[in-house]
Amino acid sequence: MTTAVRSLSEADRTVLRAVMDRLVPPIDDLPGAGTMGLGTEVEAMTGQHSSFHLALVGLLDSLAAKGFATLPGPAQDDAIGAFEKAQPVMFDALLEVVYLAYYGDERVHRRIGWPTGALQPRGFDLPPFDEAILDKTRQRQPFWRPVES
Amino acid sequence: MRISWSERPDEALGGNPQLTNAPVDILIIGSGASGGAVAWRLSDAGFSILCLEQGGWQKPEEYSTASASWEFRAASDFSFNPNVRGLPADYPVNDSESDITPLMFNAVGGSTVHWTAHAPRFHPSDFRVKSLDGVADDWPISYADLEPYYDLNDAWMGCSGIAGDPANPPRLPRPMPPLPLGPDGERLARGFDRLGWHWWPSDSYINSTDYRGRAACNNCGPNGLGCVRRAKASTDVTYWPAAIANGVELRTGARVFEITTGADGRATGARYFDADGTVQFQPARAVILAANGIGTPRLMLLSASARHPHGLANSSGLVGRNLMFHPCAIVTGFFDDGIAPTWQGPLGNILLSQEFYETDPSRGFVRGYTYQMNRSTGPARTAAGFTLPPVRWGAAHHADFAMRFGNSTLLAAHGEDLPEAHNRVELDPVLTDSHGIAAPRIFYRLSENSARQMAHAVANAEAVMRAAGAHSVMSTPLLRSAGWHLMGTARMGDDPARSVVDSNGRAHDVDNLYVVDGSAFVTGAAVNPTPTIQAMALRVADHIRTARADLKSR
Repeated sequence: MTTAVRSLSEADRTVLRAVMDRLVPPIDDLPGAGTMGLGTEVEAMTGQHSSFHLALVGLLDSLAAKGFATLPGPAQDDAIGAFEKAQPVMFDALLEVVYLAYYGDERVHRRIGWPTGALQPRGFDLPPFDEAILDKTRQRQPFWRPVES
Repeated sequence: MRISWSERPDEALGGNPQLTNAPVDILIIGSGASGGAVAWRLSDAGFSILCLEQGGWQKPEEYSTASASWEFRAASDFSFNPNVRGLPADYPVNDSESDITPLMFNAVGGSTVHWTAHAPRFHPSDFRVKSLDGVADDWPISYADLEPYYDLNDAWMGCSGIAGDPANPPRLPRPMPPLPLGPDGERLARGFDRLGWHWWPSDSYINSTDYRGRAACNNCGPNGLGCVRRAKASTDVTYWPAAIANGVELRTGARVFEITTGADGRATGARYFDADGTVQFQPARAVILAANGIGTPRLMLLSASARHPHGLANSSGLVGRNLMFHPCAIVTGFFDDGIAPTWQGPLGNILLSQEFYETDPSRGFVRGYTYQMNRSTGPARTAAGFTLPPVRWGAAHHADFAMRFGNSTLLAAHGEDLPEAHNRVELDPVLTDSHGIAAPRIFYRLSENSARQMAHAVANAEAVMRAAGAHSVMSTPLLRSAGWHLMGTARMGDDPARSVVDSNGRAHDVDNLYVVDGSAFVTGAAVNPTPTIQAMALRVADHIRTARADLKSR
């Protein structure tokens, strides 16, 4: 990553936690993404990829100026929505990294039924192909266009 | 420091001398689908052969699916978009003026490391577009010319599937049986059956059984992220080991910036930056370009000279022109019938439909499209959207996510683009790669014909989804990040005024220069191009074997 990484202040982290709680709110026994402590994961990921980092910094700077952390929930949603409208590409990148952090978490995996961990060497079992399913298509006459040599 | 056709590295570098290597007979630029195939096919013919590849060898055991953070890697250093990856071997592509963003990978194996390994063939009609449908041009070769090479390539890459598809000419039994359809594939197949529309299991270069020392697929899912098991064919695990065993040298970390020519205009070799950044000159008796439909014209435009003032072998003005993609529409069906999670199994190699492949003027457009079923994916990629807009954030998030995750199947419609000269690759006037070499800039606008095609495809795909039992459907009429197939930019033809290479892939203007990648395509058909690219590369190799003994130094 060629862009210099800006270290987050405690104020930044407070805003990030609040933003993440609005983006992915609580469900069942899981709190919002920010309260789950996944801000550290977002920091780590954004530090590895410049477009994510720029998106995070852009959002934090925009929302900090509005006193985001002290706003009531609906007003926070309005502030996030305004940034989404003004900076759609940056917002989508930030949203992606928040989703990467949230849906990379084992607690979430348990809730949604996703098998945690690497996909390999585990894989999945599927029944082998059964030719009987081709019975109807096999009744079709060839319909590719022949061409003179 | 920016290097373009008007500058010479030795001048730009202050006169630093370049190192010169021992000459070879044949120099191949690029080690992907076509580079691997042509290297192998020539490797026992008595030529000395060297391939220069700007990337490096991949380690399949380190591909992203071997780690729990595979979805983060798919979004960052293992994205299929070079502008997102930004790895040292990548070069940027200015796609700001393109409706479709090009996708590629620079490594031994090239984009076959990232591809999903769909392996359909062109139809015979795809080589006669002008004669049959009055648009574009005819190829100077036919399906019959390529058929033995399709068969050869299927055996080498390892094809799973089943013969008997009524939408295609008869072909040999497939080396391996089809990949599993899975419950989700069977569900969609029944949808096609209810409508009376064609479908067939996809030919895939993914092992359904152990094959030639490579394991069978274990259905982990995201096969566009490299294959840890080597079950998915890429040329680094198929053609290249055999080519190297026969004596071909593959030199990695070698970023070519010029195909050199002599006073007579013939190719004399290539100049490149080696892994240490030193400029090297590699002399050769012939050069074969295999750098994909953007990389090859870029290199040709970078190689202008007094004899080739508009770029190497570009007297026609067509180098870089007629860029074709496969416009791609995505229709996603959502189901609540309890069928097993829809992320199990290869992402994109299940079934296809060519019901609307051949031209039917009553549809309001010419040419046609292929449907290919794709599965859903992991949770983060699902939430980020993948081929859809992201899952909504906020109060609607969890319900929106639950509808999509593990409950969706999609149909990708690949339409046939028509060659249009204004769709093109040029050298960017500002943007460069990390060595200062001018980056490619692409200009591409979707044609009216393609737009009508995609609209037709979306409507019919929605019908298929509902016939299969989907409770709701979401459609993306044009997926911008779908530029996997790069074609047409050094087109083949008999007339030097209207083409760049002849029917044997040889440049009209330079008799010891060949193009073997998708740049040489005349038209793009409505299927994944790689089997056709590789068949053409094998055929060009056989032409060189039989007709170019003059290229042998010993």
